[in-house]
Amino acid sequence: MMSLLTVDNLATHFHTRAGIVRAVDGVSYSLEKGQTLGIVGESGSGKSVSCYSLLGLIPMPPGRIESGSAYFDGVDLLNASKDELRKIRGQRISMIFQDPMTALNPYMTIGAQLMEPLLLHRGLSKEAAAKRSIDMLEAVGIQDAEQRMNAHPHQFSGGMRQRVVIAMALITEPEILIADEPTTALDVTIQAQILELIKSLQEKNGMAVILITHDLGVIAGICDSVAVMYAGRLVEQATASSLFHSPRHPYTHALMKSLPSMNTDGKELYSIPGMPPDLTKPIEGCSFSARCEHAIEACRDDIHLHTIMLNHATACIRAQKGEL
Amino acid sequence: MPNTSESTYEVEQGQSLWKDAFRRLKKNKLALFGACFLIFLTGISLITPLIAPYEYDAPDYRLGASGPSAEHWFGTDLIGRDLFTRILYGGRISLMVGFVATAVSLLVGVLYGATAGFLGGRTDSVMMRIVDIMYALPFTIFVIILMVFLGRNIILLFLAIGAVEWLTMARIVRSQILSLKEKEFVEAAISMGLSRFQILTRHLIPNTLGPVIVYTTLTIPNVMLLEAFLSFLGLGVQPPMSSWGLLIHDGADSMLESPWLLIYPSIALSLTLFSLNFLGDGLRDALDPRVAKD
Amino acid sequence: MIEVRRPLLEVCGIKIHFPSQQNKGEIVKAVDGVSLELRHSEILGLVGESGCGKSTLARSILNLVPPTAGTVYLNGESIQTMSRSELKKARPAIQMIFQDPHASLNPRMTVFKTLAEPMLAHKLAAKETVKQAVVELMEKVGLAPRFMQKYPHEFSGGQRQRIAIARALALKPRLIIADEPVSALDVSVQAQILNLLAKLCAEERLSMIFITHDLSVVRHIAQRVAVMYLGRVVEEGTTHDVLKNPQHPYTQALISAVPVPDPIEERNRQRIILHGDPPSPLNPPAGCSFHPRCPIAEAQCQQQEPKLGNFHDNHRASCLLLQKKFVE
Repeated sequence: MMSLLTVDNLATHFHTRAGIVRAVDGVSYSLEKGQTLGIVGESGSGKSVSCYSLLGLIPMPPGRIESGSAYFDGVDLLNASKDELRKIRGQRISMIFQDPMTALNPYMTIGAQLMEPLLLHRGLSKEAAAKRSIDMLEAVGIQDAEQRMNAHPHQFSGGMRQRVVIAMALITEPEILIADEPTTALDVTIQAQILELIKSLQEKNGMAVILITHDLGVIAGICDSVAVMYAGRLVEQATASSLFHSPRHPYTHALMKSLPSMNTDGKELYSIPGMPPDLTKPIEGCSFSARCEHAIEACRDDIHLHTIMLNHATACIRAQKGEL
Repeated sequence: MPNTSESTYEVEQGQSLWKDAFRRLKKNKLALFGACFLIFLTGISLITPLIAPYEYDAPDYRLGASGPSAEHWFGTDLIGRDLFTRILYGGRISLMVGFVATAVSLLVGVLYGATAGFLGGRTDSVMMRIVDIMYALPFTIFVIILMVFLGRNIILLFLAIGAVEWLTMARIVRSQILSLKEKEFVEAAISMGLSRFQILTRHLIPNTLGPVIVYTTLTIPNVMLLEAFLSFLGLGVQPPMSSWGLLIHDGADSMLESPWLLIYPSIALSLTLFSLNFLGDGLRDALDPRVAKD
Repeated sequence: MIEVRRPLLEVCGIKIHFPSQQNKGEIVKAVDGVSLELRHSEILGLVGESGCGKSTLARSILNLVPPTAGTVYLNGESIQTMSRSELKKARPAIQMIFQDPHASLNPRMTVFKTLAEPMLAHKLAAKETVKQAVVELMEKVGLAPRFMQKYPHEFSGGQRQRIAIARALALKPRLIIADEPVSALDVSVQAQILNLLAKLCAEERLSMIFITHDLSVVRHIAQRVAVMYLGRVVEEGTTHDVLKNPQHPYTQALISAVPVPDPIEERNRQRIILHGDPPSPLNPPAGCSFHPRCPIAEAQCQQQEPKLGNFHDNHRASCLLLQKKFVE
């Protein structure tokens, strides 16, 4: 069975004055229908850039997709024409961002913004579009939906704005929803609500979700499979339970160790020594080896992602050999 | 992070935001052209008395208005004065008005705006209401009244123009200060117990310089145009002195018969205004904090 | 004989109300009656979500925002009644570390100038000796002294936060207020900064008020915790007591909302999901401010305002339904 989305060897580089920033350097993964894939990494890991590349949201110049393909329903998103992309983006693949205000036009009413894609792309009548929009607002938990249609974004709180953004993203019933840190800017109690909402809508619509985040707790809650990124590369990929139960890459392991919640009180937190690598310099071998306490000579050789157990792949050669 | 206490180490130099901005400015070809032209123009203005081929008020009645020739590159005006010389001297006046009046507006505007923004509250409201009222006064009438009562005087011209332009500068500086006041590094400075004067001069004003510099560069053309306008009306510079405004005024009168009298001064003024605008735009892009290396 | 020292900091009935910018005529009750104590060498965690007033409270302790009512006592002296010169002398004792590492440093000043400024202003160092003092400060927070002539934008977020910590330490304070100091940092950098703060507090014998919305961080660094909701403290006690045995429904919901990085536990645990958005401090509900979202609210909660009652051994919570359980 063909996957819904197959990304193969995606590489996106930025040609800046300071050098070529290898933001994404050979990333491959696939997404099945109805699956939730979590992409976890810190800032600079390339997690956001890899998804922006799929939808043609990378400014080119200075960005450039150096290699790779991303097949969605027979179309290679990375090499598609602008027209083809426009038909897919916002309709079959929707994206929501960390800051809801970047997606919302402060001068248009919520109703107008919700109805816009329906009127333009689906050719619905105004009444049909309005009804659908109201239904959508109710589905995301906004009360008094009909009155709220005439409100402007600034009249909503942060959590509600994110709900509106989700409504806008889902109103065209996309097959894939890409959510880039959707709850990072929200309070933790609101975060819980929004994650519940995404999960329930996903179950209802059967859509696939790519959730980009740095928060391992969020991953544990709603993701089926997880891809861990570091310095532009995928270092580990597994089902959520497999990843948390037995992380097979030193970076994943270190990340989990340094979380305050997993530590007992009072003891000094484990902190990963060193700093993330300079992405303008080509990295020999494993990108994490410079900070890894298990690094050996061989870590400087070419590194690839290999499956070591059912549904669990790692790029660490020592883990691949069973040493870790 | 390495935690070594070596007593000998090479202190690395930092790259301030100014250096970064300067580097970006150099890349902007139009801005560079503008800057070069202005430097060239200022240089010429300074040495005008040495290089002008004629006296600016030396008439040659035999010639009358004659077109460009080998002796008179830009031609002569109605009473035979060399236009090239007149344009050089006129440029001096126009530039002087431009720079001095702008400097006046800068000084008054920054001090006024910074004080209003920093003090806030009622003082700020009162100060800005005064600015609003002054904005509403019709400038021309205001200047005319001043000129009528105090006589026509080039210094007065500077002050009158400066008195109008400082208003916008004050508003810009005030709004910058207001937004900076909320920034955490200012709160840190307050919680350190720094005096208000120290906070204003060390933390607030240096961070408003970006927009101030840009606006200053864009004020100069306004001022020059204003002067041209006033002179056109007969309120500015008095003959036999000339400014570009006066030259354009005179040139407009004899536009049909002696077009060169209008064309050359207009080109001079336009080139200068373009240069200032290019430079101002370039500075604004270069100093934009959002584009800054971060 | 046990000598009972006066607490280092006493916050008594602080209220901060100010007129609303958007809705003219209405009052925003950012902080609505908060009393806290902080002992010497103690770290208090102040926890709450956006709008609860924790940052405003912190700023009033520093007198950046004057309180509408109530007093703050530092070592027994009231900050509100100090003259300008007394205040200037008292300022070094309380310093603050801010959340945003970008905005908390003057972009036009080098690290050296930023760190030297407070020491020179308060004459803790002279022009000749200040360079050495800056070097010591930088080493204390783990920054290489050779970077002292660099500007903030040349550093990473974590390094900038270290500079901010160094600046806070420059005046040798007794108390540091850290307002979400690691929220804007990556997870791996968070650990470094938290370790640094814990170490410095122990070494320099500092007290700290650690403001955060992240309960897992509080568990790690603070000895006592106070939970704020809509301008009031709703629960307070040792970190262990409050997090292991939360009494107030809001605290319980807050703890429940923190995702657990373990898929099995996370998906199977019982969750308390609050409905609705946090109400704005513009129009706090009558009676208990939490009742509209409280899963166990009863009729009386709409009418009566609960008080912070002592539940057990200095573990206090303000809930009418709990007041029956309280030790008299």
